[in-house]
Amino acid sequence: MKPRINRISFLLFLLTGLLLFLSACGMRRPDSNQYKVFLIAKSTQTEFWKSVFAGANAAKTEYNMDLHILGPETEEDYEGQNALIQQAVKEGADAIVFSAISYTNNAPSIDEAARSGVKVIVIDSDVDSSLVSARIGTDNIQAGRMTASAVLEVCPDPMIVGIVNFAQVSKNGEEREKGLREELEKDPRTGKLLTINVITGQEEALQETIRFLQEHPEINTLVALNEPLAVGAALAVDDLDLSDSVRLVAFDSNPICIDKMREGVVSALIVQNPFAMGYLGVEAAWKLLEGQTFNPDRLIDTSTTIITPETMFTEEGQKALFFFQ
Amino acid sequence: MNRIRRHTHLNTLLFFTIISIGILILISSLLMFYQTYQQVLLQNARTNSQRTISQVSNTVNGYLEEIDTVMEILLASLKEDPDARESFFDVFFRIRPDVIAVSTYAPSGQMLECYSAGRIPRKDQSENLSLDLAVLSVSPEGYLSSPHVVNLFDSYYPWAVTLVRRLSEDPAAGWISLDISCSNLSDYINETGIGRRGYCFLMDRNGNMVYHPQQQLIYSSLKTENTALISGNEDGSYTADNIIYTVQTLANEQWRVVGVSFAADVISDSLVELGRLLLLAALLLLCMVFIISAILSRVLSRPIRNLEQAMQRFEQDTDHFLLVPYEKGIYEIRNLYDSFQHMTQRVKELMQTVREEENNLRRTELKALQAQINPHFLYNTLDSISWMCEQGKNEEAVQMVTALARLFRISISRGHELIPIRNELEHARSYLQIQSVRYQDQFTYTFDVDEECLDYLCNKITLQPLIENSLYHGLNGLVDDGEIRICVRSEGDQILMSVADNGSGMSEEQIRFVMSKDPGESKGIGLRNVSDRLRIFFGNQYTVTIRSIPDKGTTVTVHLPKILEETDYEATN
Repeated sequence: MKPRINRISFLLFLLTGLLLFLSACGMRRPDSNQYKVFLIAKSTQTEFWKSVFAGANAAKTEYNMDLHILGPETEEDYEGQNALIQQAVKEGADAIVFSAISYTNNAPSIDEAARSGVKVIVIDSDVDSSLVSARIGTDNIQAGRMTASAVLEVCPDPMIVGIVNFAQVSKNGEEREKGLREELEKDPRTGKLLTINVITGQEEALQETIRFLQEHPEINTLVALNEPLAVGAALAVDDLDLSDSVRLVAFDSNPICIDKMREGVVSALIVQNPFAMGYLGVEAAWKLLEGQTFNPDRLIDTSTTIITPETMFTEEGQKALFFFQ
Repeated sequence: MNRIRRHTHLNTLLFFTIISIGILILISSLLMFYQTYQQVLLQNARTNSQRTISQVSNTVNGYLEEIDTVMEILLASLKEDPDARESFFDVFFRIRPDVIAVSTYAPSGQMLECYSAGRIPRKDQSENLSLDLAVLSVSPEGYLSSPHVVNLFDSYYPWAVTLVRRLSEDPAAGWISLDISCSNLSDYINETGIGRRGYCFLMDRNGNMVYHPQQQLIYSSLKTENTALISGNEDGSYTADNIIYTVQTLANEQWRVVGVSFAADVISDSLVELGRLLLLAALLLLCMVFIISAILSRVLSRPIRNLEQAMQRFEQDTDHFLLVPYEKGIYEIRNLYDSFQHMTQRVKELMQTVREEENNLRRTELKALQAQINPHFLYNTLDSISWMCEQGKNEEAVQMVTALARLFRISISRGHELIPIRNELEHARSYLQIQSVRYQDQFTYTFDVDEECLDYLCNKITLQPLIENSLYHGLNGLVDDGEIRICVRSEGDQILMSVADNGSGMSEEQIRFVMSKDPGESKGIGLRNVSDRLRIFFGNQYTVTIRSIPDKGTTVTVHLPKILEETDYEATN
């Protein structure tokens, strides 16, 4: 009888000790146990990406994470991105927040990273991988449709549309153009839809757009599908002094585009929410690492706004266009 | 052992009773403690928040006063020589890097001049956000704007707040605007934390956000503040959805500082603390219970258990039981031990006595029977019978044989020790009949029997030894006719059977000798045998008394209880 009581007591004792220990462990998370998250962007130069980084940093501060922001030299350099992915995995990333330059060519690296246990969150532009845990960004087909509606607001009849799209096979450009074409083709005023694919860079876009406009003088509506292209196109229209005859609808909120909008060169801007992409991307990384799950097949849509010269300085317009520092 | 296991043990009972009582007290006191603690914590959180917000308001008030002072200096300098202005602004922008631009306007709102740190303003200032004529029409003396984008320049669109004032006292004068970056303000606000996650922000009277540490999150619609609720309330502290809001209006009556802290933080922190406390207390309690139960086990349950085991041993083997004495510990248990020890000793003694008496009884009964089959008596009797037969006294011989047979039958009585007095008298009569034939009627005998005594029981062969004594010792030397009188009567709760003779009698010494004579030494069974059997059966108060006067006679009386059933005698013992 006595040994039995002792055994029970001993077990109780152990159990209590264990509970105490566990609770002590659960009560504080040491700072050294920060999650290491890499944000691999398409560029580190544009206003768009600076906003993304600001959002990512806001989330990093809020969730106390170790965030590393990396990006390739140019927005065409998917190989550079692949190298960055491998670097991130090697440096012990818990999660990678990724924006793909190439829908297909970044896929193997992302698959490899995901297989080695790193959570992958895609922001802005998608990658062809089934191992992505969450997708956050602009609904590009919808953004394309919005672009179309902005075009249709300002376009003459009949309209000949020139589309300045990215050269790299990117899901973003593809989808935006798809949505745009779908909507435009429905309208009777639409005459011709022409596309050039330009290397994503301000200077290249400027030269290519000038050539494009010179080759096709019939173009009276121009659409530029991302920020560097938008700047290039706006400068091209301004340089050729075509602001009276060519309507320009462009993506994102580069200050040059805003200037050009004030000067009447740009008719409408399709403004995405890069800050939200960065913030939500890093937040999603934290949530995933804390055990929450997302449906990777359903895009978490960050808002997209159409800004026109009339709305640019309204309260909402300011909030959408200008980054608060 | 199996039988014991199924029952609750004292040790277990004590252990769990102490534990459950302890835990009950612990939990209830902690709960009570928690209730009050929570109230205090909430109150503390509010006070804290209020203190912090009041500090922030002071800082922001100071900042706004400072801007006002800057404005005074600007107004004064603008009145001076226009040539000195260039150098003044050169210095001014270096001193105040947070000032983005200073502009002057005609009363119509037309921009006159615009100074900034090295930037050239646009030519087209048609949509200038730094001067809001709509607000000026309401407050013509000037205003402090909410944050807006400064759109005076190309490719530079910083967020700023603008302070607008009249250029001079003259109501027809134009205005001056001072665009100041939010950076100084944000430094104050961002660094202010309340509790673990709390923060504060600035809003205007209408609930529009002026500055929030996460302004861009709010602009990007990733975060909202319940400004509608706050703007509807006066200054003070209040709680909504577990969030403590503390509001204080600034000196300019336009902006309000709002502190946001989370009651859940305070509560969950305190809960964690409480949990830790509870665990610690539980651990302490457990330790205490161990010590207490060890002590109790030593002083209480172990001795009791030992006692219990001792009782079991006693139950199983009484004869060889030896109790280990228990000398220390609780008084009651020591007493229990002592009592038990006494009891076991007494039981052992009693058992010893019973065993000895049983042996005695068996021995004396055997003696009595042996005496009956005394061969001399039998030879003599049989001689007498044979002599009668020879003489042709057949009638008398038959009587003699019948008496002898009856004598033996009653002696044996199918093994019963107790027989009815009726039978005992029959036995005595048969014996006397035989003896009177043998002694040729040298004595006479009479029976004086109370009829109601006949059914009571007595030890068999009680009267016969007494009669034998009278014949051999009392009447033997007598020349005259001896007389033996047998008397049975009831007296109180006793029955007295006496045998009296008129023989030689005994002296006191002789009586003592007869009474103390060991039954083993004599040929007959004697008085001692009779009295022993009486005592064994009925107890010490039932005995044989002798009253004797020398040369006159002896009366021996047997004292018996009134018993009708053979088993009844045990009750009297």
